[in-house]
Amino acid sequence: MAEAGRVVSAVTLSQPAPLPIQNDPGLDYLESLRGALDLAASAAGGFVEHDLEVAGVPLRLSCAGDAMPDVLLPPFEHLATEARPPELRIGVFDTASTGVEPPPLPWPPLHATPGANPVARFESDRVCVLAAAGTGALTAADQAMGEAVFHLPDASRIPSSERAAPLREALHLLMAPRRRWLTHAGAVGRDGRGALLIGRGGSGKSTLALSCALAGMEIVADDYVLLETRPPVAHAMQSTAKLTEGSAVRLGLGREAIDPAGFEPTLEGPAKALVEIRTLVPGLIRRRLEIGALIAPVVTDLPEPALEPISPAHGLRALAPSTILQTGSRSSPVLGALGELVRAAPSFELALCPDPAANATVVAELVDGLG
Amino acid sequence: MSEARARINAENVVHETVDGEVIVIDLSSGAYFSLSGSGPAVWEMMLGTGATAAEVRAALGARYEAEPDAIETAVSDFLARLRENELIVAAEGDAAPTTANGANGAREPFAPPVFERYTDMKDYFLLDPIHEVSPEVGWPKPAA
Repeated sequence: MAEAGRVVSAVTLSQPAPLPIQNDPGLDYLESLRGALDLAASAAGGFVEHDLEVAGVPLRLSCAGDAMPDVLLPPFEHLATEARPPELRIGVFDTASTGVEPPPLPWPPLHATPGANPVARFESDRVCVLAAAGTGALTAADQAMGEAVFHLPDASRIPSSERAAPLREALHLLMAPRRRWLTHAGAVGRDGRGALLIGRGGSGKSTLALSCALAGMEIVADDYVLLETRPPVAHAMQSTAKLTEGSAVRLGLGREAIDPAGFEPTLEGPAKALVEIRTLVPGLIRRRLEIGALIAPVVTDLPEPALEPISPAHGLRALAPSTILQTGSRSSPVLGALGELVRAAPSFELALCPDPAANATVVAELVDGLG
Repeated sequence: MSEARARINAENVVHETVDGEVIVIDLSSGAYFSLSGSGPAVWEMMLGTGATAAEVRAALGARYEAEPDAIETAVSDFLARLRENELIVAAEGDAAPTTANGANGAREPFAPPVFERYTDMKDYFLLDPIHEVSPEVGWPKPAA
């Protein structure tokens, strides 16, 4: 159960638009979606508001009732703050608890391939609409206004991908104009300074991140961070990690550390379970870490871990494709930002051995040597 | 008859040059590419309005110390791979020829353009692709 938010009856998301009205089908759709959000809030007895600070930016979640915050908010509890004027707003509702459907998409429907979750994107100068065919998750964001609406068909049947990284697309869209880039990477460190863990799904990022946290290192995330590059800083998003059963066994995690939903199939490969980092390593989760190095883990059977410098271009190859392909925008300058990062911080490849503690020691020594 | 001009397929790819290597990501297929050696110099000529193969050969010939045949073969192969992978497309219209950096002064030893293609993200990408849509084209239907 999420911590209780403030209940307000007035519609707080829809603000008078200070920007000139444009002929923008995305803007028209978002306006309709805001109307549905307001209806949903009325049906649910008002908005429940939760204030967060994400990547140093005050953000307010305005939720139609309690159903959505109960499932979306737990991974953000470490980012909760006192109420203050928000720079960014995200309104959320589901249909099952409010009876309100989002307006139909003004484009022909998207049909999902079985087992896949294709995401359709409409992008205009101001508005981006993302609709996931497999999960039914819908995100629409007005980047100029710093506002987004997120909808799920049924909060009580939230897909595991959304539970692991809720509001990922909304945060990506709202943070990009503020030069905080959604990046597919983990981050661990010591005394506020650390390393970015990079690589595609299955490369060992999550296992290495949790190995480091269990060895006493600070952790921001295992899979997604919001990255600033001037100077390089990794900011926290969700506090959930995803692990395969093999990784959980290797890390010595008992059943109590694993989310009750257990190991569920993932789109990218083997079944994974959610692990709440805050409860796994109390006191070690951080909102931000300065980044002094990039580490690309590689799973091996070597008896000991081996750390080797790699070129900045090699680092970019490990970091950029999965980040860019998941955000997908042709116009986003995120690749340039990642280029800045690999020029500013050295990259390494870490051949992981089967001993998590030994791998963590190598990361700690590297971080300690960053100065 | 003028030779065909080619340019970067900016509608489908994003790219970044780091440390003498160009990383190109194809957003429509999920494949990504590394261009090294003299590849980044060729890629740079494909920016904007692009260049013809003859212009690329001339620019590399002015920059690098090599037999013309070696440059011609390397450029031809490299451009063919860029074209096959749809990283470059036909450019319309005439434009002032672009020259690669370093065309003046002492020539460097020729480093043939190196083209590497990576598809390890492709399966991952195809599971969760993002399709661009527009009011004209509509919401796409992915292949079954």
